[in-house]
Amino acid sequence: MLSMQNVSMVYRTETVETHALRDFSLEVGEGEFVSVTGPSGSGKTTFLNIAGLLEEFSSGTYKLDGKDTSSLGDTERSRLRNEKIGFIFQSFNLIPELDIFDNVDVPLRYRGFNAAERKERIERVIDMVGLGSRMKHLPSQLSGGQQQRVAIARALAGEPRFLLADEPTGNLDSEMAESVMQLLEEINAKGTTIIMVTHEPKLAGRAKRNIFVRDGRLSSVEPQLQVAVGG
Amino acid sequence: MDIGPIWRALLRNKSSFLLIALQIAATMALMVNAIAIIQERSRLMARPSGIDEENIFYIDSSSFDKDLEYQAMVAEDLDLIRAFPGIVNAMLTNSFPLRDGGWSQALQTEPGEGIDGTGTAIYFADEHGIETFGVDLIAGRNFATTEIVWADPEGAPDWPESAIVTRAMAAEMYPDITPEQAVGKVAYIEQDQPVTIIGIVDRMQAPWKSWAGVERSMLVPMKRGQSFARYVIRAKPGYRDEVMPQLERLLAERDTGRIIDSPGTITEARRMAYLEDSAMIKLLVFIVSLLTAITSLGIVGLASFSVAKRTKQIGTRRALGATRPSILRHFQLENFLISSIGVVSGAILAVALNMWMVQTFDLTPIAWYIIPVSMLVLWMVGQLAVYGPARRASLVSPAIATRSV
Amino acid sequence: MFRYYLKLGLLSIRRNPILSTLMVAAIATGIGACMTIVNIDYVMSGNPIPHRSDVLYHVQVDSWDPHEAAEEPDLPPVQVTYRDGTALLAAKKARRQVLSYRSSRVIQPEEAGQLPFEVSSRSTSADFFSMFDIPFLFGSGWDVDSDESLEYVVVINKEINERLFAGVNSVGRSIVMNGDHYRITGVLDMWDPTPKFYDVNNQSFGDAEEAYFPFSVSIANELSSDGNTNCWKPVDEGGFDAFLYSECIWMQFWVELHGADEKQDYMDFLNAYVETQKALGRFPRPMNNRLSNVMEWMDSQDVVADDVQVLLGLAVLFLVVCLLNTIGLLLAKIMRRSGDIALRRALGASRRAVFSQYIVEAGIIGFGGGVLGIAMTWLGLQGIKGLYGDFDFVTKLVTMDWLMIFAAIGLALISALGAAVYPTWRACGIQPASQLNTL
Ligand SMILES: Nc1ncnc2c1ncn2[C@@H]1O[C@H](COP(=O)(O)OP(=O)(O)OP(=O)(O)O)[C@@H](O)[C@H]1O
Ligand SMILES: [Mg+2]
Repeated sequence: MLSMQNVSMVYRTETVETHALRDFSLEVGEGEFVSVTGPSGSGKTTFLNIAGLLEEFSSGTYKLDGKDTSSLGDTERSRLRNEKIGFIFQSFNLIPELDIFDNVDVPLRYRGFNAAERKERIERVIDMVGLGSRMKHLPSQLSGGQQQRVAIARALAGEPRFLLADEPTGNLDSEMAESVMQLLEEINAKGTTIIMVTHEPKLAGRAKRNIFVRDGRLSSVEPQLQVAVGG
Repeated sequence: MDIGPIWRALLRNKSSFLLIALQIAATMALMVNAIAIIQERSRLMARPSGIDEENIFYIDSSSFDKDLEYQAMVAEDLDLIRAFPGIVNAMLTNSFPLRDGGWSQALQTEPGEGIDGTGTAIYFADEHGIETFGVDLIAGRNFATTEIVWADPEGAPDWPESAIVTRAMAAEMYPDITPEQAVGKVAYIEQDQPVTIIGIVDRMQAPWKSWAGVERSMLVPMKRGQSFARYVIRAKPGYRDEVMPQLERLLAERDTGRIIDSPGTITEARRMAYLEDSAMIKLLVFIVSLLTAITSLGIVGLASFSVAKRTKQIGTRRALGATRPSILRHFQLENFLISSIGVVSGAILAVALNMWMVQTFDLTPIAWYIIPVSMLVLWMVGQLAVYGPARRASLVSPAIATRSV
Repeated sequence: MFRYYLKLGLLSIRRNPILSTLMVAAIATGIGACMTIVNIDYVMSGNPIPHRSDVLYHVQVDSWDPHEAAEEPDLPPVQVTYRDGTALLAAKKARRQVLSYRSSRVIQPEEAGQLPFEVSSRSTSADFFSMFDIPFLFGSGWDVDSDESLEYVVVINKEINERLFAGVNSVGRSIVMNGDHYRITGVLDMWDPTPKFYDVNNQSFGDAEEAYFPFSVSIANELSSDGNTNCWKPVDEGGFDAFLYSECIWMQFWVELHGADEKQDYMDFLNAYVETQKALGRFPRPMNNRLSNVMEWMDSQDVVADDVQVLLGLAVLFLVVCLLNTIGLLLAKIMRRSGDIALRRALGASRRAVFSQYIVEAGIIGFGGGVLGIAMTWLGLQGIKGLYGDFDFVTKLVTMDWLMIFAAIGLALISALGAAVYPTWRACGIQPASQLNTL
């Protein structure tokens, strides 16, 4: 369960205040596949960052699995991120000097699993994304789609309950995008809750629930139409 | 904790981390050898001369008057000096410890030519010698007034029949007996002139601080000279600096047919004798500190670069669940690995450099413990240097992961 | 194009002011430390008399103890006895020969009000001045006849002349030393060989003596040496004469020889002389005579202090660390901009262009370090002067000549370019496509 009540987020710089989220309220249930769309700068990434405990917000309440997150310290937030949340980034964010195996290993290390368990998990998820033969490759030796599959494997290795993806297909061609999308659908089918930000109406449409963000608010307007207008 | 991936990542970036490791290695080699030299010099400087250094000074008198009555002049000078308030005692001699100039001679246990002798410094002294130098007579007796002889001032002296030697001299000549037992032994100077050892002093260095036999010296009951006189004078504690110029004036005014050199103290003689060593110590301390500073600044610089370059990956790690302390630890561990390579190769380099220096410059080899101590120091320097950048890394926001390009 | 690279370089340096300062400072301290010690070593091992060092030979004959060499391993004594010195001098087998020793005397000014004072002096044979090519302000030395006829003549240096005669030409006037009148034949101009090669066993970097007079006169006055005197055999009784006749060494003997033939002839003469002495029962050791020219003599006597050589080794290591430091930082800086470089390459910059750009940037840093390094060297020398200042001679060691200044600049440039080459080469190796994939 992920639940936000009147969450607001204000970025302050010397000259301007940007209200990235205003009175944002949303509930995402167990096993949902939610797509988030909206115009550029509307606050989608901000929402995802707050949901993923990457950023602290200005006001409102955010409960993850019934636990109020606003009172948590950095260490506790890190632990929650590590255990419950998996991230997939638009630009993959693989660590260039680590090979595929060590990249997937990163969250498991912070989790404190023993070596045997880590190895077992890493091999399982890398096989799952179809890169079993590339274990010792560096990120720079893979194509974009392959890199994103590694990133997904990394997000899944710790068996998180929530998978947050910020435009996971934004840097991929449609064929690659399709294979990544299929992977996400498979994962969702196994029970992982997925929240995915995307600009592609076609992909957004494949989610079980679509939400639309505009000017930092959940918009009640029909998403399909708005997407067409916002283009 | 996560040595494996950090190590493998380092291996993919060999050149930059090898440069730091090399730098640490060279720093270590220099540090170890500098410390070895500093230790050696400090040890030399710490050796006591055996005499009452704080209170002794000397005055040199050079007469140019051709009709000089030398022995009378000396007797009158000494009477005046000894009667002066604040003075413990005084005498005519040729040299004193730390002066770096004096008389040496060999003593042999058997008379005859071609027999190995034991080199010793010679100090001319009289019955006031023990008190004037402030040395400890640990066995035997002092010279009697009747034993003191005036020697031929030009040629070789006719050596007196008795002498007082240091404990080290006695031990070198008679290794099998105690110093007390050496009293009464007859040794031979100039191959065949017999000298009876009548007393042993605990310690009194020869004038040459770099001589291997520096602890070996001998007092002989003899006065010698014809125009030049060196008086060694011992003042009561606290009086030295006051009476020194007064005595200088007194002697200068008493007789115009001579030049009184400005008097000097043993404290000053010690400073001059060890000036090279103390300067070397200061130089080396300066060089080592400067070098350590440069190396640690280098580590700070490189770590800052590496943090800046890896901001996004740090953000990603944070997003994947790394806590702030684990990011801090990551960079500290990385530095520890680099330092380890540095200090281990540094230890090898240090030993090699030391072997070369021992061979070329006759230095004493390094004490083994300097190596682990220096390793520890450099490890700590590395950890301290990397702390700032590592802390900055730990403060990178996890939101960087989604924000940066 | 160079101006463009210069601009880019300066820009990049200004973007990282602290780091650039660190790099410049590292090179500067490295060069400063190194050149300070190199300078001292250079002065110490310098040639004190370059135009004559090949024709001046120090003479050693082995008159020492049959049971023990004078110096390990099996070297003859470093000085000569009075007997041998005077015999070799009288033989006149070389073009010129000088027998001398160091002593001190008291000058008694005749003018009222001036106090007597002590001067360092050298008792020497007449050839000293011509053989060592000593400059005179007024007058000259004395001739060989004066040596033989025990004439009371003296040569004083410029400072004594200032002190006694206010700097005017004092040739022909007389001074009183230890009660005797000496006639001045000459006044020396500034003369201060470094090291004091003609007597390295008594303070190799000390000042040249202040007054010079015939050694025969000093001997007649029983003036003994101030320097080292070593004896292996007991001296017989009989005062100064017995001492002169002894096996004690305390005088220095030099000869002037031109070319290998003259040297060989003189060596033959020395050997023949030693044979005659052996016949008299002296010289119990095997024949072991030496002729060393000035630089050979300086080398064999280890004129350069061990401490200086140890420091030189450490200073070189110090420079290496400083350079590694700079290389590391430059490399990090360049690697951090690898995206930038790849982009430039993709936009059409050739490998050469990238090389030029970065070598210019590194060159600026190196040049800055070099210039600052020369200043640091000066500071370092002042520091040495402060530390060792109580040794009067140290001022001679801490002066920098032009050669050393150029050497410092050269070392700075070489170090800077050395530090620049590897990072620049790595920059050139960055492929245009390499960065596009991983961003
Ligand atoms: N760190 C920040 N400081 C100041 N303003 C910020 C910051 N991060 C985001 N913003 C602003 O907050 C608003 C919301 O940004 P956000 O990244 O959430 O948009 P987005 O919906 O993800 O847009 P896009 O579709 O282009 O990724 C924008 O106006 C953005 O400029
Ligand atoms: Mg966004």
